This record gives sequence, C-alpha cells and structure tokens, in this order.
Amino acid sequence: MAANSNSADEKGAATRFVEVSRIEAGFFPFAMISPAVLLIILVIGFPLLYSLYVSFTPYELLKPNSLNFTTARALRNYQKLLNDEIFWRSLWNTILFLAVTVNLSYALSLALSQLLARVTVGQSLLRTLLMVPMMFAPILVGFQFRWFFNANVGLVNNLLISLGLIQEQGQIAWLVDVPLGMITIIIASIWMNIPVITIILLAGTLSLPSETFEAAEVDGASGWQKFRFITFPLLAPFSYIALTIMSLDIARAFDIVRIMTDGGPARRTEMLWTYITRLAIEDTKFGLGSAMAWITVILSVLFTLYFFRQLVRARIVR
Amino acid sequence: MYRKLFLIVLMLALVSIVAVQAQDEAQYAGLDMDLSGITIKMANIGGGQYEVMYDAIAVFEEATGATVEIVALLDGFSMDQKLKVDFATGAADYDVAWDHTSFVAQYTPFLLPLQDYFSEEELAPFSPAILDAATIDGNLYLIPRHADISPIHYRADLYSDEAIAAAYMDATGEELNVPSTLEQIDRQARFFVDNGHSPLGYTLAGKEEALTGRFYEMHFASGGSLFDENYEPSFNDEIGVAVAELLAGWYADGIIPSDTTSLLWDGVAQYFCNNDVAIKLEWYGWYAYFQDADSCAVAGNFGLARGFTGLSVGGDAVRPSGWAGAHAFSVPATAPNPQAGVQLIKFLASERVAYEEALLGFLPTRGDVWDRVIADASDAENPLDRERLELARIQVGEDFKTPPLIAEWIPFSNIFYPHLQAIILGDISAQEGLDAAAAETREMMADAGYY
Repeated sequence: MAANSNSADEKGAATRFVEVSRIEAGFFPFAMISPAVLLIILVIGFPLLYSLYVSFTPYELLKPNSLNFTTARALRNYQKLLNDEIFWRSLWNTILFLAVTVNLSYALSLALSQLLARVTVGQSLLRTLLMVPMMFAPILVGFQFRWFFNANVGLVNNLLISLGLIQEQGQIAWLVDVPLGMITIIIASIWMNIPVITIILLAGTLSLPSETFEAAEVDGASGWQKFRFITFPLLAPFSYIALTIMSLDIARAFDIVRIMTDGGPARRTEMLWTYITRLAIEDTKFGLGSAMAWITVILSVLFTLYFFRQLVRARIVR
Repeated sequence: MYRKLFLIVLMLALVSIVAVQAQDEAQYAGLDMDLSGITIKMANIGGGQYEVMYDAIAVFEEATGATVEIVALLDGFSMDQKLKVDFATGAADYDVAWDHTSFVAQYTPFLLPLQDYFSEEELAPFSPAILDAATIDGNLYLIPRHADISPIHYRADLYSDEAIAAAYMDATGEELNVPSTLEQIDRQARFFVDNGHSPLGYTLAGKEEALTGRFYEMHFASGGSLFDENYEPSFNDEIGVAVAELLAGWYADGIIPSDTTSLLWDGVAQYFCNNDVAIKLEWYGWYAYFQDADSCAVAGNFGLARGFTGLSVGGDAVRPSGWAGAHAFSVPATAPNPQAGVQLIKFLASERVAYEEALLGFLPTRGDVWDRVIADASDAENPLDRERLELARIQVGEDFKTPPLIAEWIPFSNIFYPHLQAIILGDISAQEGLDAAAAETREMMADAGYY
C-alpha cells in the first residue's frame, strides 16, 4: 500500500514536473523573444499607433493645442481626403506609375537575367557592372535624370539637336509635357530597379533543375518553348518575391519624383508620398498628413497580401 | 618752451587725426557687456557667402568674454524645417536663430519680441520698410541682416541697336526704351522673339513659392491684393485674371521657356546668363554671377532698371513692383540667455559687420552701410556697379514689399502655385483656375480660424 502510495506520489510529481516543464517550455520561447518584441513595439508599434491617433486630430506642428481628439471631428481628415480631388489624382498617378514601372522593370529584368544566365565568359564582371545603379542613392538618380531631361541644358535635348532631330528653338520640355513628365520619372525608376530584380531572377534561373531542361531538349522543345513552359513557371516564386519587393519600393518612390518634378507641374506627376510631404512637412498639417499616410499604408498592406497569396499559390503549383 | 608747445600741438593733432579716422571707420556694436562664462548658441543659415560673416564672431568673443557655439548651419528651407520642429517640440535651446521676413509670421508665438532690447537710436539706421516687415502685431521680432529685391534686367545690345529701334518704331509706333511697365515688357518681349532678336522675351521662376511670389508681385504692381482686409482671397479679381492670362499667353507663344513650370531661381538665371532672354525681373543677388565673363555670355551686356509698374487694368492703383525679403536674426522665446543673444545680434547687425558683408555683394539694410558701399563704388571700373547700388537703395527704401505676413503664406502658396501652373500650361482658363485656388484657399483660411 505504502509502495503503491509512493508510486502514486512519484507519478503525481512526475506529472506536475511534466506540466511545469510544458508551461516553462511554452513560456521560454516567449521570454526569449520578448526583448525583440518590446523593441519592435517601442520603435515601430508606438509611432504607428501615435500617428494613427494624430490622424484623428487637426494637429498642426506649430499649433501644439491642436493635438486634441474630439469625437465630433475625429473623421474630418479622412472625409476631407476622400473628397479631395488632388488625393484621388495622386492615388491614380501612383497606381499608374507603379503598374507601368513594375511591369516594365520586370519584363526587362527577366530578359536580362535570361541573357546573363547564358553568358559563359565574364558573367561575374557583367553581374558587377549590372549592380552599379544599385550603388546610387535615389536622390542622386533623381538629379542625374533631371539633368538628362533638362529642356535648356539637358543631355537628351542636346543630343537630339546634334542629330538634327529637333530645332534649337523647339526644345522638348521633358519634365513638363503630358505624358513626358511621367515617362521620364518611370525611365529613371526603371533604371534604378532593374539590377536588383535581375539579380533575384538570375539566381532563380541558375537554381532551376537541369534535368527538366534536358528532358525537354530530348523531346525537341525549342528555346522559346523551354522558356515559356519551364523557366517562366518555375521562376514564379522568385518573380513574386521580386515583384513584391519592387512594388513596395516603387510605391514609396519619393526621392526621384521629388527631385525630378516634385509632383508638378500643375500636379501632373503628384504621387501619394509627394502629396503627403507637402501636407505634413511643408504645410505642417500633421493630422491630415497622417490620415493620408494611413490610407496609403492600408492600400499597401492589401496589395502585399494579394501578392503573398499569389506567391503561396505559385509555390503549391511548383 | 616753444619746443614743448610744438610737441603738445603735434600730439593733439595726431590724436585728432586718429579720432577722426576712428569716427570714419564703421563701428562694431554689442561689445559693451561682460558676458564672461556665457555660451551663446546660434542656429544659422550656412553655405557659401553666408558664412563669411561668422568669421567676425571672434571679435565679439574676445571683447565680451562669451563663447559662441554655432549649433546649425543649414540652407534657408532646411532652417525653416528645423525651426518648426524645434519650436513645436520645445527644443529651441539656442539664443539666436536665423530668420526671414517671409517665414517669421509662422514663428511669432515662439519668438521673443525685441523692441525692449533695442533703443530707438540703435534701430534708426535700419530701413523703416524692413523694420515694418519685421513687426507683427506691434512686436518687433527680427533684426535685419541683408535684403534682396528685383530690378529689371535687360540685354543692353537690344536697346543700343538703331536698326532694332527703328523696326520697333515701325511695328508699334513707339520708341524702344527700357521698359517701365508690364505692358511695355509684353510688347517688347513679343517683338524681340517674333523678329528673331532674342530666343526668349522674358523668364520667371515657375514653381513653388517663387511662382506665387512673382504672381503676387505682378498682381500687387497692377494695384491688386492677394487678400482683402478680412483675409478673404481676392486674387481671382479682374487684375488677377489679367496677370494670369498674360503669363499663359507668354507660355503659349513661346515668350517664356517651355520648361518654365519646372524652373526655380537657378534655372531662370541660367537662361539670362546664356544671353537667351531679352528682359526679366531678377534678384540683385545674381549680379556677380551675371558679370562673370567666364560663366556668362551676358556679362557686360546687360543693364538694370527699377521694377515695372503693373497692368493698366489696375487704373490709378498701379505701382512699382517690389516683392522683397530680408535675412534676419531672431531670439527664440526659449533661449537660455536672451540678453546675451541680443548682444550678439547687435554685433552681427552692426555697421561694421554689415558693411563687411555688403562688400561681398549682399544688399545692406542700414542707411550708413548704404552710404559706405555706394561711396566705395564711385571709382569702380564698371559704372553699373555704382548704378546698381543706387538703384537698389531706392528699391529697398521705397518699393520693399513682403508677402502677406500670415503664418499660412507657405500653405497658401502650396495651394496656389499648382493652379497657376495649370493656367500657364493651358490646362484651365485663368478665371476657372484662380476661382478654384480661391475656394481652396478660403477653406484653408477658415480651418486656420480667420473667419
């Protein structure tokens, strides 16, 4: 009986030990990541929540008393923006800019990556050269292309004049005319984005299994057929990662637009981020600027979710 | 005995000569206080010629015992951003801050009124028009450093060619003289372009506050006002429409550059520098650049004239243009050592330091410094050097006009200039564009509590 009793006690203790261990085992990982979580809350979470709060107030930087929340005007900034023609125009410009830049950058990068994958001599040198645009700060790219497209002293107009394609009096106002202003920004942005996308796609291409291609060759597939039915589908996960990174990066394109056209003239190239800067920084309307930033963030999150869903689907297919 | 008398007379004579010479030299100010052990912090504009003035601070430090620490050296717009953030967060822990007549209205709750720190005698040398621009609601917030305003710049060769003058007479029935009205500029600019004498007739900065300011100037010179006495927008009146239509017509007819709406000051100056523009209103500050034959084709081939009067649609109310501004010093309300900051401002704005800075080409804000620089220029090799200074003194004294001294000037400009660009580019009619700008401005002013 005593033996039984001891055995039961031991069993109970063992059970408790296992339970405690389970609790500890459950708690331990959380304890380990808690410093990082706290840091993220402090550095990212708090400013985000604070800017959300500010977006419901009429806060202006030089009017400290305006940082007060009232239920009556909580949604005023959002209502104002939804009725703001410039906001919708800048949203449309951003979507247009994003769609054209992402697709063209992707198409050119894909072509470049396939060409690079076939180079047998000096590939590393070419890859290094390809990465040169990545070494430029976006602000410098903006200055560089602004000079290229300057109507008076710019490289492009002077080249066209030298070739006799335009007259000296008929200089093209690249940064002003519709749709040239938007096109010049897109060109600058594509120039800056191609390298990183090409490198990702090149890495993807080089990692593809060679057996599949050999089997296709045995079956007599042409080069185009191999690309269309093997390379392109197998590259889908890499493509979605590249497109997601590029989309978020381009959607935040600020430096290039700011330097080249600053959203103008007459708001012809106004984008969400140039408009937010104008409202929040130049006009010091932090409340309105925060509301617009939050609308933009929500749109970006939705966009990213869609892309990740596509990415997961692509992996399952693979 | 005679020898002693002779020595006394000689000594008296020497002392008198030294005294007269000392009196004739520009004097420092602000050195009459012991500031030993005090560190004066200063946030100031930096870059190029602006920083030469700060070399003189060593004299102030030696005389007063203070230590001056420059905590920021930024360009004007970056300083504006810094001041806004520092004032809003209570971090303006400096005793002297750079300031500007175009920006000061937004900072006034955070600045120390200075009228009690300066005697009438100390303020007397400064241009009254600039002190007016530095005074808001009866409080003096700025002590001016140097100013700028725009005269007409014109290509001299176009006005000295008899064949061109005769052709102009045939075409318009009037003599070709340097223009003094906006309508004369319009006629002459069109004539020069249409007849191939100049690639461009006129130029102006076409974006941001630069464009708003130029419109304000043309509207003001034509007798208009951006706002009425109740701060209701009034720029969409008949005068405003006439000015906007003039600009749109110039753009459509190639009188101004095709990239006007992407130009700021440097881009506009480049066109004139290249000898490509017949007439333009330009800041005096570009004079040295235009006269540099190594950089500019227009060097030695341009003249200056007082700013134009506006369009005749304004009737008797037309007046000379004079959009102007002045760099200045102010004291933040949170300054740890306001009195020491004021002493440093007295020194930096003194006749001596202001004169030394004026020698670099900046336009002074003090009458005594004007006298000196004009006298210095009397034997200049180029007579335009003196004419420029005399003309500038008249303009700064009589035509100096700041934009409305309201905190909403920059937000207003950010609303206004894209609409004016749309008008210039022909996207919208002048009346529609100005009406749209007026409606947005009214909403912004209502939000700011003006009505």
